[in-house]
Amino acid sequence: MKLKSLLAAGLLGVSTLALATAAAAQDKTIRIVGFGASSGVVGIFGQNSSAAMQAAFEKINEAGGVTLADGSQAKIVTEYYDDRCNAEEGISVLRRIASTDALVAIGPTCSNVAEPLFGILQAKVDDGGDTGLQFPVFTDVAIKGGLAGISEWVFRNTPSEATMYDSLFAWIRQTHPELKTIYGGVEEDFAHSRFTWYEVMKKAAEANGFEVVGEAQWLLSDTNFSNQARGMRRAEPNVVAISAHPFTTCGMLREMARQKIEPEVLVGLTSSSSLETISGCAAEAQGLTIPTSFAPVNQEAIEAAEAVVAKGGQMDLHSASAWENAFILRDVINAAGIEGTAESLEEDRRKIRDALAQLTEAPGLLGQNKRMPDGEAVKPYVFVHAKDKGWEVLHEPSS
Amino acid sequence: MDYFFIIDFLQSLVDGLLFGTTYALIGIGFTLIFGVMRKLNLAYGAAALAGTYIGVAASLAFDAPPPLVFLLSALGSGVIGILVYYCCFRFTPTHYPMASLLASVGMLLFIDEVVIHASHGMPFPYPSVFRDATIELGDVWIRGDLLFVFGICVVAMAVLFWLLYRTPLGLATRAVSQQPRAAALCGIDPTRVNLLTFGIAGILGGIAGAMTAAAVGVISPIIAMGLTVKGLIAVVIGGLGSIPGAIIGGLLVGAAENVFLLLRGVTERDIYVMLLLFLFLTLRPGGLFGSSAGRD
Amino acid sequence: MDFYFGLAQIIGVHTLLGLSAYVVLLTGQVSMAQAGFYAIGAYTPGAMTAMFGLHILPAIVIAGLVSAGIACIVGFPALRVKGLMLVVATLAFGEMVRLFFFNLTWQVERNGELVGPNGAEGFRAIRYFPQNGWEVWHVTVFIWIVVAVVMAALWWMDRSRAGAVLRAVGHDEIAAQSIGLNLTAVKVGAMTAGGFIAGLGGGIYAHTVTHIEHGVFGVLLATFAIAYPILGGLGTVFGTLIAVLFIQGFLIEGLRFMGDWRSLLFGALIVLAMNLRPTGLLGEHAPRMKHLLGLRGRKTETLESKEAN
Repeated sequence: MKLKSLLAAGLLGVSTLALATAAAAQDKTIRIVGFGASSGVVGIFGQNSSAAMQAAFEKINEAGGVTLADGSQAKIVTEYYDDRCNAEEGISVLRRIASTDALVAIGPTCSNVAEPLFGILQAKVDDGGDTGLQFPVFTDVAIKGGLAGISEWVFRNTPSEATMYDSLFAWIRQTHPELKTIYGGVEEDFAHSRFTWYEVMKKAAEANGFEVVGEAQWLLSDTNFSNQARGMRRAEPNVVAISAHPFTTCGMLREMARQKIEPEVLVGLTSSSSLETISGCAAEAQGLTIPTSFAPVNQEAIEAAEAVVAKGGQMDLHSASAWENAFILRDVINAAGIEGTAESLEEDRRKIRDALAQLTEAPGLLGQNKRMPDGEAVKPYVFVHAKDKGWEVLHEPSS
Repeated sequence: MDYFFIIDFLQSLVDGLLFGTTYALIGIGFTLIFGVMRKLNLAYGAAALAGTYIGVAASLAFDAPPPLVFLLSALGSGVIGILVYYCCFRFTPTHYPMASLLASVGMLLFIDEVVIHASHGMPFPYPSVFRDATIELGDVWIRGDLLFVFGICVVAMAVLFWLLYRTPLGLATRAVSQQPRAAALCGIDPTRVNLLTFGIAGILGGIAGAMTAAAVGVISPIIAMGLTVKGLIAVVIGGLGSIPGAIIGGLLVGAAENVFLLLRGVTERDIYVMLLLFLFLTLRPGGLFGSSAGRD
Repeated sequence: MDFYFGLAQIIGVHTLLGLSAYVVLLTGQVSMAQAGFYAIGAYTPGAMTAMFGLHILPAIVIAGLVSAGIACIVGFPALRVKGLMLVVATLAFGEMVRLFFFNLTWQVERNGELVGPNGAEGFRAIRYFPQNGWEVWHVTVFIWIVVAVVMAALWWMDRSRAGAVLRAVGHDEIAAQSIGLNLTAVKVGAMTAGGFIAGLGGGIYAHTVTHIEHGVFGVLLATFAIAYPILGGLGTVFGTLIAVLFIQGFLIEGLRFMGDWRSLLFGALIVLAMNLRPTGLLGEHAPRMKHLLGLRGRKTETLESKEAN
């Protein structure tokens, strides 16, 4: 009895949802859907990203929406799906999105979801032998390097860490010519932070003449860093680079303070230039320098940040990408001349993909973003450092 | 062997032993609950974490002083422990241990998610005391805050021993753990004893959570799983149902963890800890202090 | 439509994972090692198809055999302990497997690109299905054929003497031993069968998600593996299937519209379900089993509660 009703409720839940999404197409609208982790330990990324998307689409709709092929205007409707940072759920969410009338999806937030997700997409367009999903994805948050190359249906508007860290170390070399040695700290079991140290920071530091005098590794949920910090203390590095997320960044910074390790320059991971680090350990993070593709440095950026805060989110380098994606997609849709009808769905998706692939430049909050042939972006950036209770712009390389 | 290696080794050992007391506390909690109910409470680590967050909430809300934060963390976790008892153990059949096992898994996921929902998964600073104090014994440094953690954990254990061996309440608890039926016949209400055990175990867990957070200085929901696993390992190494065993087990896990970190690096550290456990289990299934005392 | 096929794939794969724990649970052992066998099953055929171009079918069969072999070897020492000790021992084994793959870097060059497991960054591009023209529904049918075969085999086993033997050991070891059953053989046999099924499941999983990494195969997955059969009830293989439908179909997919409240409800509903139906949704005994062992009753409870550790 109970069992039957439970099952019935389950089936009902699955099926009504599919119906509900299909039935909301009276006024001329097009759908762009966001997805990512909005619950769980990393849920904050999805919540911010969702708020940024909503704020951006609201602003676009107020200005009239997008123009379709027949010259009529259409409003953008959006919603956000939670994938809990789980690969299977992410794939399921994208399949669900592709089964609705959504034209393009923005997401996911986790690199460990992005990697399998991009794998189920068709690797090369027009490859008849490849039965992968044909649906354009415009990623905002998942940042681990080199992922967009997996499929030609994937585009990313995440900053290029390689460019940013190269520039950061060049700037450190220039402003502190006397510094020679660097020590790396890396959160070893997280794909993004691991990749960023070994493939990005380390190479950038060496290219700019720093000598790597040691590396300390720890895991995502570690609580004791004394061994790692001791090695660091003995090496007496001039520069310390920490490629880790806020929780262990804070733990390590505390241990460094305790062991009185005071490098001249402290470099952090892009994802740590968020409120979380300040919330966790403002005192120890003082001076932590991080390159980021967002900071409220101009009028447009400040207004965007305010709009996102009004939606209950925070604007950081991740959610700023979600905001930019919304505007880039508006321009792409205007230019691509899509029909926006149920019959033209496949074609419209393809048009959006092709238009995204053709972009060589796209507007961003800090200036023009360069679009790369492999679907990645190179975005303008600034260097920020933790000061008092917030992040302050230290240097603007472009100016 | 060069000088640095010996110093590092000693230092790792000292840090590990001091930090191991938190594992020991969690281990004692598991052992207590297992002792009276013969059940595994997987929601235990999560309850400890949630209690710790209650302390954080107090420190954020009205800037509570550290001792009060610690106290609230411990008490909060005790209350959540009792809640876990009612949700997962009170109404599930005693002869079918899998029901309560799975219910406690559900509770683990639920508590974790409540904490994350309330905190948005943000790490929060956690007050610690004697943070900048270190005792320097030659080249080996003993962290003041870890020493404090150690001290608090030892006090908590001492109080527990007093409760168990010097009060009527403890007598009742031990009676239920040895012979539930006989104890019930003697007029001891097993439900009341179970309830108290969950409360006490919860408080111990809360102290362990608070001390872990105090040692790191930051708290994040991700520490719950580590506490649970390490606590379980401590129990098993020490021997189920044995409180001294849980203490030794906790210290051993803490020390082994740090020494393997030094010797084999962080990526292989846990493999060796698990291997140690696996060997222990298969070669000495009863654990260090496993004896007939814990069984009926 | 592909969405529903995709969902059916997830349900199929998780059913295999659940069934692998089901076999072991029948003997009264709670094994947290299933995620480890699943991981071995995922990496082995992933390597065989992506790195050496083998066909999927032999690949997953080999995966099952490899997992079964390792389960058998692990079974001997691990099954010396029971109850909570076994939970922790198998948990330790599962974590060891996960950490092994965390440390494993072994890449070969194929079509100008490096493929293979790359430590913490995982194993990318296990794209056997899309590269060989398998549509989503082909994959779904393939998975469900495997699931159906495994379920039929288990169902048949349940009804044969083997099932009675497993349940006898699970019910009362001392009684089982006293009627001449070899406990070690039965338990290790169950563990091996469980390892084989988990290996198959893992192999298919790797191919449906195309990218695997160590983090997936952690304690949480191991917990889910035992959660399915316990939640569904140990009476029949269909209990596991029902539980997977309940968790993957209803709690995860069906409630997705609830946003982040879904994750809160997830745990709470499991707690509720276990309080309302402690022996699982379909109950502890299949109707026929009850008939067979008609003697069971309240008398056995005392023995069982002693047994619990």
